[in-house]
Amino acid sequence: MATLSIDRITKRFGALTVIPELSLTVPDGEFCVLVGPSGCGKSTLLRIIAGLEPINSGRILIDGVDMSGAEPPERGVAMVFQSYALYPHMDVGRNIGFGLEIAHTPRQEITARVGAAAEKLRLSSYLRRKPRELSGGQRQRVAIGRAITRKPKLFLLDEPLSNLDAALRVGMRVEIARLKAELASTMIYVTHDQVEAMTLADRIVVMNGGRIEQVGTPLDLYERPANLFVAGFIGSPAMNFLKGRVTACANGIATVSLALGSSVDIPVSSPVEIGQEVTLGIRPEHIPFSVEEMSGVFMAKASMVEMLGSDTFIYVRQGEENLVIRDSQGRRARTGDRIAISFPSTACHLFDQAGLLISAGPKENIAAQPSARAHGKAS
Amino acid sequence: MRTLTRPALRSFVIHAVLFLVLGIWMVPQVYMISVGLRTPAQAFDPQLFTWPVTFQNFATVIRDNPLGGIFLNSLIVTVATVAIVVAVASLFAFACAILKLKGTMFLYATLLTTLMVPLASLVLPLAILLKNFGWVNTYIGLILPYSALGVPFGMVILKAFMEDAPKELFEAARVDGCNAWQTYWHVALPLVRPALVFVTIWQFIVTWNEFFLALIVLTKSEMKTLTIVPMQYSGLYMANPGALFAVLTIIAIPLILLYVLVQRAFARGLLAGAVKG
Amino acid sequence: MHVDTLHAGRPAAIALRRSRAFNPTLYAFALPATLLFVVFIAYPIVWVAGQSVYTKSNAAEAIFAGLGNYRSVLTDPTFWIVVRNMALWGVITIPVQMLVGGLLAYFIERHTNALRGFFRTMFFLPVVTSVSVVSLVWVQIYAPYYGIAQEYLKHVGIVMTNSAIGDPKTAIYALIVVNIWQWTGFSMLMYIAGIANLPSEVLDAARIDGARGWRLAVHVIVPMLAPATKSLLLLGVIGTLQTFPIVHLMTGGGPNRASEVFGTFIFKQSFVLGDTGSGAALSVIVLVVALVLSLVQIALLGARLSPAAKGRAS
Repeated sequence: MATLSIDRITKRFGALTVIPELSLTVPDGEFCVLVGPSGCGKSTLLRIIAGLEPINSGRILIDGVDMSGAEPPERGVAMVFQSYALYPHMDVGRNIGFGLEIAHTPRQEITARVGAAAEKLRLSSYLRRKPRELSGGQRQRVAIGRAITRKPKLFLLDEPLSNLDAALRVGMRVEIARLKAELASTMIYVTHDQVEAMTLADRIVVMNGGRIEQVGTPLDLYERPANLFVAGFIGSPAMNFLKGRVTACANGIATVSLALGSSVDIPVSSPVEIGQEVTLGIRPEHIPFSVEEMSGVFMAKASMVEMLGSDTFIYVRQGEENLVIRDSQGRRARTGDRIAISFPSTACHLFDQAGLLISAGPKENIAAQPSARAHGKAS
Repeated sequence: MRTLTRPALRSFVIHAVLFLVLGIWMVPQVYMISVGLRTPAQAFDPQLFTWPVTFQNFATVIRDNPLGGIFLNSLIVTVATVAIVVAVASLFAFACAILKLKGTMFLYATLLTTLMVPLASLVLPLAILLKNFGWVNTYIGLILPYSALGVPFGMVILKAFMEDAPKELFEAARVDGCNAWQTYWHVALPLVRPALVFVTIWQFIVTWNEFFLALIVLTKSEMKTLTIVPMQYSGLYMANPGALFAVLTIIAIPLILLYVLVQRAFARGLLAGAVKG
Repeated sequence: MHVDTLHAGRPAAIALRRSRAFNPTLYAFALPATLLFVVFIAYPIVWVAGQSVYTKSNAAEAIFAGLGNYRSVLTDPTFWIVVRNMALWGVITIPVQMLVGGLLAYFIERHTNALRGFFRTMFFLPVVTSVSVVSLVWVQIYAPYYGIAQEYLKHVGIVMTNSAIGDPKTAIYALIVVNIWQWTGFSMLMYIAGIANLPSEVLDAARIDGARGWRLAVHVIVPMLAPATKSLLLLGVIGTLQTFPIVHLMTGGGPNRASEVFGTFIFKQSFVLGDTGSGAALSVIVLVVALVLSLVQIALLGARLSPAAKGRAS
């Protein structure tokens, strides 16, 4: 349990700056997820926190103490590596207790604590086995066991689930969630999978190119992405981005004409320049549509329909613009059908040319059926 | 029951050829044992095998010569050298591959030149050096130069294996709180065990059979190693090849036996690098 | 609290760990190797280089001879016999050992199963047989009247009047045969490691492409064994220059220096004749030749010394 404070650190590898001045505070007991595409610097940041990589400038403070130059054990960190990094020549018991062994903890205490950790992770019957005799999920648990036995201040996990197959991953996610509840440690978790981030995190840190794009709770990031990157990263399938231009702005409502061929009114918090090029974002699950012909509502052809059982994905292509609609109510649109689509203003996000959010509507229940009256109009 | 298929036939032929080649290849060694088992009367027969066999030669040479003591000399020198080489080479490989200390790559390259230097060039100064240290006719007079000669090869192999090991393991050790020595002992060494085995066995073979330096350094007969005594026996038993070959057989056997015993571990160590896809 | 369990009373160790990155005492890891090298390799080399420019015949006085020793060595006809012998030695032993060793490795690795370990061991036995034993046995084999070589050569119509090693014209070749006999197992072992290293997917792809048996061997396997071949070449050149025991024990460099090699030449000059000056000069010459040949090979071929490591320059 500890507070982590990252104060304006920079990190360079030779001439390459991978992290250009980053600051972040993780309060005590929080489960913080660092998420982002490959190469965004999240693993590097984790290793910096661990003490495995030095920083070029700035400070790392743990519980207020400057640990910028300290080695991992001094920082009170424990780490679960992506490849688990279990010592292949030691049995499970020794792997778990090795940190304590190095710290000259009395043998009885080691046995007790290893036993407790093994119990918690259901590894008690495997204590004498070697890592190569274990399955991926079991090795995962041993790696976790090794970390929790050290009772760390900071618990670091580097993409722990990415080496597991899909089915196992779901099960382990539940385990980690359970661990999170039990340990009440400050945990920092790195992943490229936004589903893991959304389900496990207290707060998510979205990173890109060594910078923090946004920090917030999962719901924050989902409902109010600060920029195009975050909006496109969170949520699966990704948010639709449609090009548009502001044709009018009055009384806090901006009218945006879409290249797709429709136009939408969106509430904005401050006046928007007329003629400005903008991007409209709307999530596939928030697009109401109907297979019936409706007058006054924007119509388009479904160029492809994918049926997955629980969900149906409808792809619309108009010129350069692509749209994905997720249908969870089985309305049986088929490829080639003409469908009526509307863009409820409460579901629309507006981004300026720099990719920053201009508005994000308040979220209410999105109507299932489009209606020409309250929502978008055919242009 | 199928008749011999082509692959089976091919396998049979290949095995037959291999056995044939092996048979020819083994002639000198078979000959050696065979002559050792001959009576003096038949010792000069130009045959590969003769009958009857007698163990008299073996009995005589064992009785007449302090082979046990000489064996001990070889053993002491070799075991000590192997221990030193493995320890020193692994320590250096660790410093170079894992600790990545500054300047170790340069040292590595410099030490590599040892492998290219013909021993013949070094015997003279080494002999004088050892004389100055007073180490002629001592164990240490051989052990230390042997170690210096053997470390580079061990260092090459061990460095390569250590570099192949997954880096995250060393980081985990760091997170677990290991200092350099503990990382070396608890993590690095166990990880490269096949290579350690290979280096040990190879160094053992090379050291045991070393001739040139042993010849120069060990002049007192009670200090001599098994490798250099045959020379004096060839003079001693010139008229009695049976006895000579009996002694040669006895001298050759320990290492051959050892190799047969460890050959699986040896091959495993050699091929361990192969399995690391 | 839990902080204590991690640092249970070991502040000194923490200090070590903190400065692990720059701790000079870590160089202790590299010290023994360096020390051994400096005392037993570097110093002798320097000594030999220095000594080679003096003439000293067992007397305390050293007369600076400049390059005199080198001149006398290079004009000594024996030197050129040695060069010829060494060239023959290298040119014959290295390719033959590679070829035979390679063939053995190929058939043993790819065409045997249960007997693989047996064959591997048996063919390697000559390597582990003491060189002095090998030498003396072969002296006997070569003996003209009672040696078995004669016995078998009779069938081919060759009659030896002299031992093969007693005849100046054939001595060096007879020694070369012994060397090949002893060391082919080593080439075989290197190729075995190389073959085991071959990625099976590449071989499968080649087979799908239609290459099998002989063609697979020649067009796929042999080129992929290039690293092993390069290593063997490098080691072979060095080994050739290192040759001593076989020659010393079987012919002593004779008859009439016909089979003299560098090792025996140096031995005679330094230890028998006591002429350390020319012995040192010879040592330096051999050293330089070895280094040049090795460096040239490494530069041109990128040869490496470890059989198992992937893609490393030594």
